[in-house]
Amino acid sequence: MSVSTLRPLGDLVYARSGDKGGNANIGLWVPAGRSDAAVDWLLQTLTAEWVRELLPETADLEIDLVPLPNLRGVNIVIHGILGAGVAEGVRFDPQAKALGEWIRSRHVAIPDRLMA
Amino acid sequence: MPEPIRIGNCSGFYGDRISAMREMLEGGPLDVLTGDYLAELTMLILGKDTMRDASLGYAKTFLAQAKDCLGLALEKGVKLVSNAGGLNPKGLAEALDALGTGAKIAYVDGDDLRERIGDIAPELSGALTANAYLGGFGIARALAHGADVVVTGRVTDAAVVMGPAIWWHDWSPTDYDALAGSVIAGHVIECGTQATGGNFAGLFDAIDAGLVDDPVQPFGFPIAEIAADGTVVITKHAGTGGLVSVDTVTAQLFYEIQGASYLNPDVTTDLTSISLRQLDKDRVEIAGTRGSEPPAQLKVAANQLGGWRNQVEFVLTGLDLQRKSDLLRAQVEAALPAGLERSWSTWRAPAPDSPTEEGAAVLQRLVVWSQDPDEVGKAFTGPAIELVLASYAGFHVTAPPGKPSAYGVYTPTYVDRDQVTHTVHHHDGTTEVIA
Repeated sequence: MSVSTLRPLGDLVYARSGDKGGNANIGLWVPAGRSDAAVDWLLQTLTAEWVRELLPETADLEIDLVPLPNLRGVNIVIHGILGAGVAEGVRFDPQAKALGEWIRSRHVAIPDRLMA
Repeated sequence: MPEPIRIGNCSGFYGDRISAMREMLEGGPLDVLTGDYLAELTMLILGKDTMRDASLGYAKTFLAQAKDCLGLALEKGVKLVSNAGGLNPKGLAEALDALGTGAKIAYVDGDDLRERIGDIAPELSGALTANAYLGGFGIARALAHGADVVVTGRVTDAAVVMGPAIWWHDWSPTDYDALAGSVIAGHVIECGTQATGGNFAGLFDAIDAGLVDDPVQPFGFPIAEIAADGTVVITKHAGTGGLVSVDTVTAQLFYEIQGASYLNPDVTTDLTSISLRQLDKDRVEIAGTRGSEPPAQLKVAANQLGGWRNQVEFVLTGLDLQRKSDLLRAQVEAALPAGLERSWSTWRAPAPDSPTEEGAAVLQRLVVWSQDPDEVGKAFTGPAIELVLASYAGFHVTAPPGKPSAYGVYTPTYVDRDQVTHTVHHHDGTTEVIA
């Protein structure tokens, strides 16, 4: 039975985010120094619903998840978050430069065994 | 089998560190120095430049760098390859020639579809820019023909790295795995210092682990050593700032990707095939990359003038923030024309009892946009600013009222390959079309 603690997601994973037209992507991965068990946890825990909980702004948007276990992580593609066409550039962070840092700052329950 | 080719990058965008070209040439050995100067938005900026003056349309910072460094590059035998030609590679090639260094300068074009975009995609008719993304084989031919410098229009960001590798290793168009390895090399180094510690979520961990001597020392630009089989080592010049680790390379591999297949005009790369390994300090190997046939069509990036935009950022401070915001919005909404497109930013109240004024404040941003610049000029900022003495307690804004700015609408589309004439203009005046 594993014990979990509520802590920033960024305690366990790194992220990089960016834009492609009106879509944003966030790569989330487990750094080289951490266990493979943490990679398994990330790939199993990360669902579109989980992303919608952490980033409520994405509630009504299409989300693709692309697991890349060889890179120890997953790519999240969020469709239309940056606005399509004329609404492009209106968002607070119009090129999603810091979307990854925002999701890393959200608190989630992470098994303590993965933080060792 | 030839040695790996050592390819550096000295620019990740139009506006990157101007001294980087010199740093990369002086910092250690290289075979080719590349740079990416074009982003989706940059094409729009260059498009606006050509509206003012048809002889512009290329990245002027590359010309400034070449003015300073082209002689040095020739002396060291380092070839320069960049997409700084933008909408006018011929104009950039001529300007480089006029520097009088005697360098052999080639350029690649055929990407510019402005004249024909209405036939290809009627809905994009009249677009300010429309460019097909070209691959690396034109660059490779220019180098094989003896060019010292190759400038291009809209080739893919990775193509400026892939082209020199194709030339060096004499790859054929079906050497998919090797081509894919070079695409990944290009993708990792195309954004400059994003591969060496910039915009890197693990920077503080790396500093704490003693991997970065001095975080204020400018991060070195990245280098890719590409072997004949497409295996790559990412590194940087000794003595430069930042770091190259499995995690800095992973970060850049995740940058601006979509699915598990990474599409390029010359090859489709399987991102699930890549494996990374730290070989030594600041040396990371990328191995196992698999490629397959490229997409049948070429991607085209079109930019249309979208309209005009303006904004005001209001500061809400202290008590009753929700009521202050509600009053502000009601007042501004009442004063603005009903049909004006607008968007209010979201905000959240800060913790109470702040010991600093900044900590007690939040920003509420209002963005408006219109086809008519007058609607978002004084007609917009006037009513907003007239509230200065007439709204909630503590009203102020972060900047004086600004002028409307033009914005573009970027639309990707696709075109058959036979609609595009990928052309190399060799340094000796001959031309060659890439099939």
